[in-house]
Amino acid sequence: MKFEPTRRQVLIGGASLATVVAFGGSHPAFAASDRTRIIVRVEKDLSNLDPANRSGPIDLNVIWSVQQGLISFKPGSTEWELDAAEELTQVSDTEIAFRLRPGLKFTDGYGDLTAEDVKFSFERFLKPDAEGKPVTYAKDWSELDRVEVTGPLEGRIVLKNPSPALFTIALADGSGRIISKKAFEALGKDIATKLIGSGPYVLKEWKPREQFVLAINPDYKGAIKPHFQEIVGKPIGEQKTAEIAFRSGEIDFTAIDPESGKALAELPDASVTQVPAIDYIWFGPNIEKAPFDDIRVRQALRYAVDVDAILQGAYSGIYPRANALLAPGLLGYWKDAPVHERNLDEARRLLEEAGHGGGFKTKLTIEATARYEAIAQIIQANLAEVGIEIEIEALESAAYWALGENDASKDLELSLIKYNGKFDPGFQTQWFTSEQVGQWNWQRWKNPDFDALHAKGAVTTDKAEREKIYVEAQKLLDESAAFIWITHNLNAFASRKWLKPGVLPNGNNWLYTAFSEATA
Amino acid sequence: MLSRAFLYTHLAFKLAMALLAVAGSVVLLLALIRMIPGDPATVILGSRATPGAVAALNARIGLDKPLGWQTADFFMSLARGDLGADVFNGRPVSGLIVAALPNTMALAVSAMLIAVLSGVALALLSAKNPGGRGDRAIAFLSVGFISTPSFVVSVFLLMTLSVTLGWFPVLGAGRDGDFVDQLWHLALPTVALSVGWIGYVARLLRSSLLETLGENHIRTLNAYGVSQTKIFVKYALRPAILPTVAVLGMGFGELLGGAVFTEVIFNRPGLGSLIYDAIRTRNYPVVQGCVFVVVLLYVLTNLLADLLQTFLDPRERSRLIANSRGR
Repeated sequence: MKFEPTRRQVLIGGASLATVVAFGGSHPAFAASDRTRIIVRVEKDLSNLDPANRSGPIDLNVIWSVQQGLISFKPGSTEWELDAAEELTQVSDTEIAFRLRPGLKFTDGYGDLTAEDVKFSFERFLKPDAEGKPVTYAKDWSELDRVEVTGPLEGRIVLKNPSPALFTIALADGSGRIISKKAFEALGKDIATKLIGSGPYVLKEWKPREQFVLAINPDYKGAIKPHFQEIVGKPIGEQKTAEIAFRSGEIDFTAIDPESGKALAELPDASVTQVPAIDYIWFGPNIEKAPFDDIRVRQALRYAVDVDAILQGAYSGIYPRANALLAPGLLGYWKDAPVHERNLDEARRLLEEAGHGGGFKTKLTIEATARYEAIAQIIQANLAEVGIEIEIEALESAAYWALGENDASKDLELSLIKYNGKFDPGFQTQWFTSEQVGQWNWQRWKNPDFDALHAKGAVTTDKAEREKIYVEAQKLLDESAAFIWITHNLNAFASRKWLKPGVLPNGNNWLYTAFSEATA
Repeated sequence: MLSRAFLYTHLAFKLAMALLAVAGSVVLLLALIRMIPGDPATVILGSRATPGAVAALNARIGLDKPLGWQTADFFMSLARGDLGADVFNGRPVSGLIVAALPNTMALAVSAMLIAVLSGVALALLSAKNPGGRGDRAIAFLSVGFISTPSFVVSVFLLMTLSVTLGWFPVLGAGRDGDFVDQLWHLALPTVALSVGWIGYVARLLRSSLLETLGENHIRTLNAYGVSQTKIFVKYALRPAILPTVAVLGMGFGELLGGAVFTEVIFNRPGLGSLIYDAIRTRNYPVVQGCVFVVVLLYVLTNLLADLLQTFLDPRERSRLIANSRGR
């Protein structure tokens, strides 16, 4: 059968094609057309908007823009600035006085923001909830004794012990948000899905799994000025889908794989920002298990593993190397930390000395992601050169993190771990204390000196002294040879050229109020 | 003729079996899900929660009870029309499903429609001249369609039609109340999801058609000079399509579950992506509710296909009548 189109068929076909091209090509009403409104991609949907029971940075970023704290983080910095408080004074190591700005009002008719609301917001972390259970973030305020109200807009925060970390862990963070006592009592369980605040934005809409919309709060009386009329958040779980959506113009801002940065930066209207993170990714043995109970075997591991090759092979050579627990920029950053270079001869000598010259078999447990699998394979190849044979056990995320429960980590041999960092060094050191063995100290390393340093750091208010404490603590970690640091991670973001993102130094937390139009 | 009483008994029996299948599947799936290590507390509290906080949260959301108790709780709540609440924020699961289901149904129905229309057309073209160039081309195309996973098609369509040409949107299901926008958002996921089924229906129906076309009644019709179109559509297609109807019944259920990849890639807020997210976060009440709905729909579509087959196939009807008389 021959296909011999008539002239009429050709004309009709051509016209149809032209119509499709014309209508199809003009359809998308994309993000960049309206610069009073931006569309940002979030990795998952909002989950719980109660600051005391929030479920992570996605919730927190929205809570920050709607609810005020006495203080809040400065854009792009780990420092804080006054927010709802007009004045905040450290009266003593255990007492902080505050005076609120006058005229601050909660949305939805819940009245003025007063010192009573501050007291209620902070003290609820100490009390069980309606069902008799502690709130999720109770630990953030564990040093709080009480909040005393000394006037309608004035009060004092009284601590049980000095707590220098309180400012970054609680006051400026999510646990320091001030909620309306009236709203809390009126909303009951709905406090998890309805956000009442006094901040620069209101949560205008939240359509689960589709989008949330932040709109300017017309009654806001504070000092932080938002730049966009509306900020729309679209939950997109898959990174590649987000990158495609960015390429097609449907979103204005998204976190990306740093490896995709180069390609996206070549788009005419795109800009890529890289923010070194403060996380800590390392690999190490369970030192309670033979042969890793012998420090010579641990040292041999450290000599045998090629961290630079891991950074090249699994991180495309663009992530910075970590040599200690605390990332640059954090209090206690150990800038002279030793850089352990690969030395196979030394590794073999140490193994020989420890009676393992013929090598041994062991298991490396990782969270199943493409990157961690790549790291594991490099480690496997590295260690094979000194006779250590590794079986890789890749666990799905929730199964992997379940190793922190019920002392499950006792069965681990080698593990590759990533923990997210926070701005206070004490947050990072806590996971390596003896009391964390059986929970999140998967190397099961115990050192009383380290525990003492961690405890001392938590109550030392002198900044220089604290700095020394955390450097000393990191030296002990290094001496143990139980931790082979890989990287502090790298965050990368793609945005429209005209948009300046408001990302905090950890990369996970964004201040929507700090998103602004980029100046040329 | 079938007696009305027998028909009702037959229907009631089929329905009871279907409900039993739903209950059994749900119990099995719930047990399997709980066997996976990890719990929502770890997800909610972050990777480094204290055991005390994990235990408190598990107690709050009822995960401290034995599995059998939790399953019984689920069925008792179900009897009251309550599918439970999202562990993260207490939203009713039924609300989440009601919001997600239309998006998945629209996708599954449109994909099935495209698959049936295109598959039947290709099968007819193919069977018209078996072994010819057209038949071989369609065979090649069909096998290609079947063997290409929907997520590959999804990415290809996104990169060409959305990113390069900008003709179609990438994200979501379209604006509420804007039917044209919703159709626009539905187009690419539908094509991606239906491609495999187009090939499958075409191959299945072609074989069935060729078998029917070789039967005596078709030869008789040819001898009487009945037009080829009439023979194909009226006398060959109807009996030939019966095996396809049975497969489509199961296929629709599969499409509901199989829409996961497509929904995730196109970021479509449907039931598939809801289940995917809920399993990842061990949000058991949401998983339970969604699994129940998917199993229910799967069983019901199969039941429907079964009944449709009885209606379309005179042999099935005769068997049923014989059974009713035998009683």
